[in-house]
Amino acid sequence: METLPASVAEQLQALTFSERAVAYLQVDAGLTLVGAGGHLEAYGLTHLRLGRPAAEQAFFLEGLLPPVETPYIVPSMELASGRVADVHLVLRADTLWVVLLDVSTERDAARRMQQKAYDMTLAQEREALLNRQLQAANAALLATQRELQASREALVRAHEQVQAQAAELAAWNKTLEERVAAQLTEIERMARLKRFFAPPLAELIVSSGDERILESHRRDIAVLFCDLRGFTAFAESAEPEEVMALLHDYHAALVPLIQALEGTLDRFVGDGLMVYFNDPLPCPNPAERAVSLAVAMRDAVTALAQTWLRRDYQVGFGIGIAQGFATLGQIGFEGRFDYSAIGTVINTAARLCEAAKDGQILVTSRVATAVAELADVKEIGPLKFKGLSRPLAVCNVEALRAA
Amino acid sequence: MTATLQKKICMLGAFSVGKTSLVKRFVESIFSETYLTTVGVKIDKKIIDLSDRIVNLILWDLAGEDDISSLRMSYLRGSAGYVLVADGTRPSTLEVAVSLRRRVEADLGPLPFVLLLNKNDLREQWAIRDEEVEELQGSGWWVQSTSARTGEGVEAAFRTLADRVAR
Repeated sequence: METLPASVAEQLQALTFSERAVAYLQVDAGLTLVGAGGHLEAYGLTHLRLGRPAAEQAFFLEGLLPPVETPYIVPSMELASGRVADVHLVLRADTLWVVLLDVSTERDAARRMQQKAYDMTLAQEREALLNRQLQAANAALLATQRELQASREALVRAHEQVQAQAAELAAWNKTLEERVAAQLTEIERMARLKRFFAPPLAELIVSSGDERILESHRRDIAVLFCDLRGFTAFAESAEPEEVMALLHDYHAALVPLIQALEGTLDRFVGDGLMVYFNDPLPCPNPAERAVSLAVAMRDAVTALAQTWLRRDYQVGFGIGIAQGFATLGQIGFEGRFDYSAIGTVINTAARLCEAAKDGQILVTSRVATAVAELADVKEIGPLKFKGLSRPLAVCNVEALRAA
Repeated sequence: MTATLQKKICMLGAFSVGKTSLVKRFVESIFSETYLTTVGVKIDKKIIDLSDRIVNLILWDLAGEDDISSLRMSYLRGSAGYVLVADGTRPSTLEVAVSLRRRVEADLGPLPFVLLLNKNDLREQWAIRDEEVEELQGSGWWVQSTSARTGEGVEAAFRTLADRVAR
């Protein structure tokens, strides 16, 4: 084995002693400090007292004494002085040698490396943590996005539903508008027609949707004229209010009868009324209806006349009925149309009405023949009328026969 | 005259959990934001007056546990007790503490110890679940939240441990 020359060995020992700040403690079997030397002050080991417990003075020995095994090294121990030492425990002949060798430089170098490694590990840990947080945030974001998407889809569905409902509503509105417009048209037509015809008849025409009836045409009709006898004299002497009240009662009594028999009320002229049958609503027995109406009117006015008589109104009632072809239709101009009948039969009925005495219902022979089964008719004889070239056979309807 | 005892206490735990900072807070009542890793062991002494006795706590602040440098059990020889430290913001450090406790007990037998959940001042970054802590407490662990930065819980933890090891 090669050995160092004595001079080199001595030099090395001297170098180690100074560079490594070698210090030592001697501890006996009773754990008492029995010796100390070297660079003790480098490790803060000052004021040592020999013969006292070693661990009390060098507290880093607490727990290390007595040694379980030797030689024993506690590496890289930083003492309170700040020095770092490898602490060697070596037993020599019942004396424990505690040798301290300074390794501060090595410890600092090791620490720098260790520090870098730990810094890197900590950075990696932080990165991993941030990644986990990022992933969690991403997952939460994704979940939120999905929820948002679902909400959006629900919203779109709701929107589409609302739009569909709106479209449906619009269609309904359109239908409703059309219905309203149609009804309005019907109401207007009805209002127009009600001026000429009894309400049920007007409704019939409207529901049929055929207004050609208003066009000019010819038809065989039974025409009834009636008015009050002595009305002109009464109107001259009575107060206007009395005249109006009488007319009101008179019309109120007669108009429902006309409507009941589906007669067409052509016009009111003061106390005079013109009614005809078989137009615009066809009926198989216009003369019978006219006569039935006339009798009912006479009965109604007779009843009214008794009331008037109590008020000293001297008023009678006469009726004329004729049957024949007339021209019928709408006459007039925009804003003022009337439905009316024109023809000799109208004049004839009017003349018969004029000729009728109180309570008489004068009819032409044609009418009398037509109602022979219905009523008791008495022939009055031929009468000459103004505007008619020939005398006319006239009859009076006395009463309806019992059914 | 009050009796004086001297007891060796080891600081154990993963690296960068604050072992050195806890000792510095306890011994010198100061805190440094600068992190300086411990290599080997750093020895400190703190005298504690427990009224009926005085305890010289010799604190062995051991290098942190990591994948490369595992604990040298030789450092623990002669310990009267130990302090396990975990960082509340790093769940892995609690696993390290649990592992250390198992190894220390296997080597040295049952010794008084306390688990310090350090960095309690960073509560908003806290990552250790309460259920884990409650489970450890249920199995007899003494767990204390601490902050070396604010000093919260530090003095009380060391004093209580000193009292236990001095009995």
